[in-house]
Amino acid sequence: MRRGPLHRIALALAAAALASTVAPSAMAQEAGVSDTEITIGAIGALTGPIAFIGTPGRDGMTLAIDEINAKGGVCGRKLKLNFEHASTPAESLAAVKKLVEQDKVFALVLASGSTGAAAAADYVRQVGVPTYNLYGSTPIIREPFSKNVFHGAIVPVEVAAPGLIGLFYDDGHKPQKIGVLAGTYAFPQATLKAVEAHLKSKKIDYALEQFDQSARDFTSQLVSFGRQKVDSVLILGSFSEAGFAIKQARELGMANIRWVLDGSAVSRAIVPIIGNADGIRGYFNNPAFPGQNDTVREFEARLKKQLGSMPQGRPNNYDMIAYGSTYVIADAITGTGCQLTRDKFLASWSSLKNAGPKTMGGLDVSFPESFTETDHQGNYRLGAAVVKNGEWQVYRVIERP
Amino acid sequence: MAELALVLIAGAKFGAIYALAALGLVVVHKATKTVNFAHGAFAMLGAFSSYLVVVHWQWPYWMAYVLTPPLIGVVAALIEFLILRPLRRADMFTVVIATVFLGIALSEAFRLTYNTELLAVPGMFVGMPFVFHGVFMTQETLWVIAGALVICVACVLLFRYGRLGRGMRAMASNVRGAQLCGYSVDRVYMFAWFLGGAMAGLAGVFVAPVSGVSVELSIAIISAGFVAGVIGGFDSLKGAILGGLLLGVSESLAAAYVSSALKNCISFLLLFVVLMWRPEGLFPETVARRV
Repeated sequence: MRRGPLHRIALALAAAALASTVAPSAMAQEAGVSDTEITIGAIGALTGPIAFIGTPGRDGMTLAIDEINAKGGVCGRKLKLNFEHASTPAESLAAVKKLVEQDKVFALVLASGSTGAAAAADYVRQVGVPTYNLYGSTPIIREPFSKNVFHGAIVPVEVAAPGLIGLFYDDGHKPQKIGVLAGTYAFPQATLKAVEAHLKSKKIDYALEQFDQSARDFTSQLVSFGRQKVDSVLILGSFSEAGFAIKQARELGMANIRWVLDGSAVSRAIVPIIGNADGIRGYFNNPAFPGQNDTVREFEARLKKQLGSMPQGRPNNYDMIAYGSTYVIADAITGTGCQLTRDKFLASWSSLKNAGPKTMGGLDVSFPESFTETDHQGNYRLGAAVVKNGEWQVYRVIERP
Repeated sequence: MAELALVLIAGAKFGAIYALAALGLVVVHKATKTVNFAHGAFAMLGAFSSYLVVVHWQWPYWMAYVLTPPLIGVVAALIEFLILRPLRRADMFTVVIATVFLGIALSEAFRLTYNTELLAVPGMFVGMPFVFHGVFMTQETLWVIAGALVICVACVLLFRYGRLGRGMRAMASNVRGAQLCGYSVDRVYMFAWFLGGAMAGLAGVFVAPVSGVSVELSIAIISAGFVAGVIGGFDSLKGAILGGLLLGVSESLAAAYVSSALKNCISFLLLFVVLMWRPEGLFPETVARRV
């Protein structure tokens, strides 16, 4: 029997109707989502020289997830964290691939700093997995813009650089010549590029010296600064590098220097290295430093309860960012109306306004984050911090220039 | 001129610590023909011991110098007794691999039990630096350079004139002959490991205020000690000391007058040049003769 056009249309309609009945069950099969759990994957260094970033990343996320799950979870499901150790670029890419392809996580968190974020950048753009870059300041993860990649508390280097240089001028200080002491590895180099561009655009006289990761001897760099009559120094590196550089500068008789540190060095752990650290400035990526108010003191108490004992120098910037960012993810999941597909999740995330722990009853230790379809940078604010009586304190908020 | 002096002093400070680290490595190698790649981990344990004494228990600083070397020496001797003695008849690679993984195991054990990024240890001396013709020097720097070098010289003297030192030298020259002269292999090997461990422990106490205590310290010490040992000559105690000083000063000078980014690179460049030009090291104890 010959079949006419009407018959074909009827078949097509029947197929569409069948597809629409099948669709809800297909949606339930979205990677990383089951009837009881939503799996979030994360990478970060748990050992080695950048473990001060990854370990707090894991611990801050775990604390937030435990709190969210204790209140019933999100969309009737518990959040589950798969955290993979990754330190080098090769480890980072391998860990991300494992989480996406084997563990089939719903969303991915890069708690690894610039090195890991840069290594994973191309892959996450290619596979389209919703990705949260917690700590990477490198432009490699930020450019070109991708609809599935979001950035949290760590501001772009173009925003951080003017903020850092501005700290030299607080309290009427007028630097004659700024020394920039930068690590040769990924994240200090990313900031250095923006800092140099800013210094040149403002015609500020500066001298540049560099050091390798985990360096402990800065004599040659400091001697060079002394020769060039530097009176203010910006350190782009970790707290241990910055701490030993400042300690050695004092041993070399470099007094009355204004020290400004990159956010990664603004940590309690720097104070025991230097001894008297009063007056040292830097930016912090959260509105208050641990111990500064009741909210952050409560955060510290909860983290200590979770860890058993608090490691030296913790909680730090990264504990607080990871905690706040996990609540942002939970907000984005809630915003899908519990239609847990990646497309709905990305759409929800792109429309979040003032997201953070407060909206779900968590501790408000981070700056609230807002996103749009075309701007996936959640936060543009920084806290200007100074050491007073051996404790860091945020004394003003640096707004987007 | 003052600037050059500052650079040289800084180089000597790190060089003295490298020398102490290299000396422990060379002592063990000279007596037992084993390159101990766990040496850096022993130094890290020494640094951790000084953290416990000075910061955790808040005992007087000198107790770190008195308690740590015998403690780490005993740990090293026990490891020799329990792990390396059964491997004595194994080939060289087995023993080397055993020490490599022993070092990793010790470092990881420390990381798992004390999960922190860096433990800061204050210096033994506090106060303003001395200034002499524009050259600044702290008591701490003076103590590290002088203290480490005095201990190095004492170790050389012990090795040369002490009874057990003579035993180690005899064992290094000819094991069978030394046994026939009445030296016990077990006792001499154990003492060599004790001495090597004690030297590593002391290096750890000296380096703790300079670098802090971290797992990475283990790698930093073994790399520097190994390079210093090879530069000086792996069979020469005097060479280990001079090699350490040369390495420290070269790193400092290269960073100051060539490029600050060259600091780490220079040690490997130096190692490469020495291995190409004088594979026996710059200050070998045995003299090569053309026949």
